[in-house]
Amino acid sequence: MALSIGIVVVSFVLTHMVPGNPALANLGQNPTPSEIRVFDQRNGLDKPLPVQLGLYFVHLLQGNLGTSQQTGDPVAHDLSMAIPATAELAITSIVIALIFGVGFGLVAALRRDGVTDFVLRILSLVGVSVPTFWLALIALYLLFFKLGIFPGGSRLSPTDTAPPHVTGMYTVDALLAGRWSTFWDALHHLLMPAMILAAANMGLLTRYTRSAVLEVMEHDYIRAAKAKGLSRRTVVFGHILRAALPSIVTVIGLAFANVMTGAVLVENIFSWPGIGQYGYQSSTTLDLPAIAGVSLFIAVVYVVVNFVVDVLYGVLDPRVRVE
Amino acid sequence: MSGISAVFLRRRIALSAVAALAIALTAYTGSSSAHGAARSSSAGTLVVDTSFIISSADPARDLDPTGYIVDHALYDTLLTEHGSSTKVQPDLATSFKASPNATTYTFQLRHGVKFSDGTPVTSADVVFSLNRVINLKSAPAYLLAGLKITAKGPYTVVIKSATPNPAIPQIVTAPALGIVNAKAVMAHGGSDAANASKTDHAGQFLDQTSEGSGPYTLTQYSTNNQITLTANPNYWGPKPKFAKVVLRDMTAASQLLNVQRGSNQIALDLSSQQADSLKNNSSLQAHTSASPNLFFLQATSNPKVSPVLANHDIQQAIRYGIDYRGMVATAGTGAIQAAGLIPVQFLGGLPTSYAVKQNIAKAKKLVAQSGLKNPTVTLSYPSDISVNGLSFATLAQRVQYDLGRIGITIKVQAVPVAPFLTAYSADKYQLVQSYWGPDYADPNDYLVFLPGGSVSSRMDWPASANPALVALGKRAGSTSNNALRAGLFKQIQEKLDQSSPFFPLIQPAQAIVGSSNLTGVALNPSWLLSVAEVGTK
Amino acid sequence: MSTASEAIELPARYRRLPRVHPALRRPLAVTGAAILAIWVLVAIFAPLIAPYGPDVLGNSLSAAPSSAHIFGTDQLGRDVFSRVLYGARISLPISALLVLMSLTIGSTVGSLAGYFGGVVDGVIMRIVDLVFAFPAIILALVVTAVLGPSLQNAVLALVVVSWPTYARVVRGLVMSASQREYVQASRLLGASARQTLLRDILPNVIGPVVVLATLDFGNAILLLSGLSFLGLGAQPPTAEWGAMVSYGTQYFQDWWMSTFPGLAIFSSVLALNFLGDSLRDALDPHGSWTTRGGRR
Repeated sequence: MALSIGIVVVSFVLTHMVPGNPALANLGQNPTPSEIRVFDQRNGLDKPLPVQLGLYFVHLLQGNLGTSQQTGDPVAHDLSMAIPATAELAITSIVIALIFGVGFGLVAALRRDGVTDFVLRILSLVGVSVPTFWLALIALYLLFFKLGIFPGGSRLSPTDTAPPHVTGMYTVDALLAGRWSTFWDALHHLLMPAMILAAANMGLLTRYTRSAVLEVMEHDYIRAAKAKGLSRRTVVFGHILRAALPSIVTVIGLAFANVMTGAVLVENIFSWPGIGQYGYQSSTTLDLPAIAGVSLFIAVVYVVVNFVVDVLYGVLDPRVRVE
Repeated sequence: MSGISAVFLRRRIALSAVAALAIALTAYTGSSSAHGAARSSSAGTLVVDTSFIISSADPARDLDPTGYIVDHALYDTLLTEHGSSTKVQPDLATSFKASPNATTYTFQLRHGVKFSDGTPVTSADVVFSLNRVINLKSAPAYLLAGLKITAKGPYTVVIKSATPNPAIPQIVTAPALGIVNAKAVMAHGGSDAANASKTDHAGQFLDQTSEGSGPYTLTQYSTNNQITLTANPNYWGPKPKFAKVVLRDMTAASQLLNVQRGSNQIALDLSSQQADSLKNNSSLQAHTSASPNLFFLQATSNPKVSPVLANHDIQQAIRYGIDYRGMVATAGTGAIQAAGLIPVQFLGGLPTSYAVKQNIAKAKKLVAQSGLKNPTVTLSYPSDISVNGLSFATLAQRVQYDLGRIGITIKVQAVPVAPFLTAYSADKYQLVQSYWGPDYADPNDYLVFLPGGSVSSRMDWPASANPALVALGKRAGSTSNNALRAGLFKQIQEKLDQSSPFFPLIQPAQAIVGSSNLTGVALNPSWLLSVAEVGTK
Repeated sequence: MSTASEAIELPARYRRLPRVHPALRRPLAVTGAAILAIWVLVAIFAPLIAPYGPDVLGNSLSAAPSSAHIFGTDQLGRDVFSRVLYGARISLPISALLVLMSLTIGSTVGSLAGYFGGVVDGVIMRIVDLVFAFPAIILALVVTAVLGPSLQNAVLALVVVSWPTYARVVRGLVMSASQREYVQASRLLGASARQTLLRDILPNVIGPVVVLATLDFGNAILLLSGLSFLGLGAQPPTAEWGAMVSYGTQYFQDWWMSTFPGLAIFSSVLALNFLGDSLRDALDPHGSWTTRGGRR
């Protein structure tokens, strides 16, 4: 909570120190002084900074994040449109990273020091080393333009229409509405950017999983389980992976942060109308309420994800109890 | 005034240069083929990819290029234009009459036109819509500055101007002056009262629902994703070919890939090179032409900001030091060197043959003559925008290199457009690379470049610097004989080329690319593309 | 937020840097060191190797790779190969500087927090938490909106977001080192805080911090080029790799303009990660190629 307030204050003060005049940025080619006055009054820019900050907090408590100068809509509304788009992308990407990262990590640990281990090690290093924006461009060029395997950006085919708004995540909403073709279309559009975002986290998770599994494998009870003649499958999934899970879960918080940063670049390239693009566009147009809103949202995500990770860790690891 | 804003502007209101004081258009029947598409049922989806620059789907609140495409499809205006022509055509008004002194315009409205919800369109809606634009004091308000709008019966509208204004028929084609359903908009918080700038809350409503009589209605609106239009079943004119139009927010790079893979698709923001690379593709059509936008350099006249630039020899050295041919080559097919500040296609535009030619020896001599040792200048430009697919950074690098070769060191300074405009207006910069997009296609829009004009004053070039030139400008601006006026403006530009802090660079190329089966793929100077006029072969 | 600190959770395992790295005998380490060495040499000798100057505008615009221009030319007729070579002079030293600054600030702050504990520690760690809650790029967006886009401002923004990683790691290491008996003893014998920190604690801290810095070096290159890609870092005509990729995207049909600078980023970051990973192996034989965090 204190953290969130701190972030609001920092982002608000930072953005309001901007030397540019938002009225000039938003009013078009030849604003008259009276138009600028109207704009400033409408956006509360004619008041001193502490008053603006105070007003911002008062409005915030009422769930009002102000009005975006760029879109003319309430920032809360803009965020409610952008957040599901990013959430859909981020969650899909994390799931992909988890499936491959944990799988690779497990295999690498089981084949420790073998050729597979070495290849996976290189793969995971490649994953964390490749520039996201460059990978996105190459994927767009090859997989969309040359081969036509995936669509080239945006969330749905232009011939399709968005499903009725429930969660704002197109795949989920399409399923809720029972529109299968829309679901596949949305998923098809989602996969390429999600995979690109997943590359770095996949590398990260492979390494985490490998070391966690290796550590678990040294414990006596695993040796005992093996000695008892339990099937390899039971030992690997029932004992080793289960015991390694708590430490893998702690990486998810980190993975979410990576995804939020990567989203700015990937959303930009894939015309994905999410929070990354909204943040980027508002910062280039000096849309102060929007920038403050995005920062606040990111801070909340940080707090929530860390809390969830703590809870999950407690659930998975009996030695830790969340009070 | 400036050529740039963060929501930067490609809109231009094309004014017929001819001061036609009394034009009466013949009555216009909806079945004419002027709209390109024959009367048939609508089907299929047209996809238009563009980098969105839009702040609202409320016509009274937006002057941005994407907003203009959308507004033009959703709302009828009193008069309009077809295709890429700037000739005024009937729309909601079937005819109009101008008083001999060009101060009073009387428009006769079409009968039987209905809004998309079935309400008939009357003069009350026109008066409400235009007064709302005036009183909202948003960006489009300037279009109607000094005008008074009244109704004379249900199908007659009168527009009165305090001063002679032959531009009115052209001005009312602007999509920002689209006619909205007064009752519906008022019911959702709209107002045309004098205090509308504080009391009107219809903007959000109009971002969700369109309340117009145009060929399309709004079904989905998002400023950073997708805008979906659906054919209006109540439209009075020829039915548009496509039942659905989807505008997608795409970077130019994505547009280039999409248009090659898609069908029924148009890309609006490709550079001339990108369009050229598609010319041999039989499934596509690509059109390039010189844009009326004009890039220029502007130097400060304030010796405190830059003693170097205040030196006349240095100014002239800059003029002769730039490799204009290289710059035009970089800008691609269709781009031309700008001889003056008025685009060649406008009245008074200087022909390219008048353009300054690079002369390195002369430029070096001028630098030596200036007596300044190692002259250094900072060149500032907006870092995050491009015009017709050409980024400011590209041209700035060319300038830096060329002037380096004649011994003037240029430090380039990239600034995001919002702080750039603030500092530019406050005379903080030494040398600026800027551009001017016409507000209307008339040389009078370029009087701002004379000493003491609004663009000149930004960098401290006062009227006192050259009173003779100021007087010449006054004369040119008020001359009614166009041949005379063109001559005066040419004279002004030649004088500016001899000695002024302005350095005209180029008019870039503009391009439009579409699937080859489409018809009506043409750039309009005001609203870029009329989606309702796009059909199939 | 990404915390490479979590990467190095077991300080007790680390030893001082060995004199001869067994790591160097490993294939990854050798490959990484070799690629890196090539880039360092390129950076130093760019003017001698490059066939053209980085900012020289030629007459063949947007030309595909040929014998005259092996990586092709860009829209202004500049040689892409020469620009990629000169790019090493920007990306590598600036990223190194960035890491050094973050390391210095983070280590100082972290050791103060770890050594003194209590209120000092509480305040510092709250600030660290606050900064961690900002993804690097979002903060950089805000910083460049305020200060304007430039390489210096991008570095500034990245230092602001990356010092806490070091602060956290060093704090943990210092705390555990302070518990050691010989450190306690030396403190009891009246050694000053400065003496204790530098003489007794620093040697325990330096190994993990070097590993962290090596891995962070790669991240710094990625982040810096990412910002430049968005137009928030290096400005034209600087031959910076991320800016070059971004410039090339405007001319998608001419693939060479963005492919080669992208490869340069990728290869140098990969080399650093190969090296860092092997170094970690050498210092932490137990976990082999253990965990790490990354901001991208």
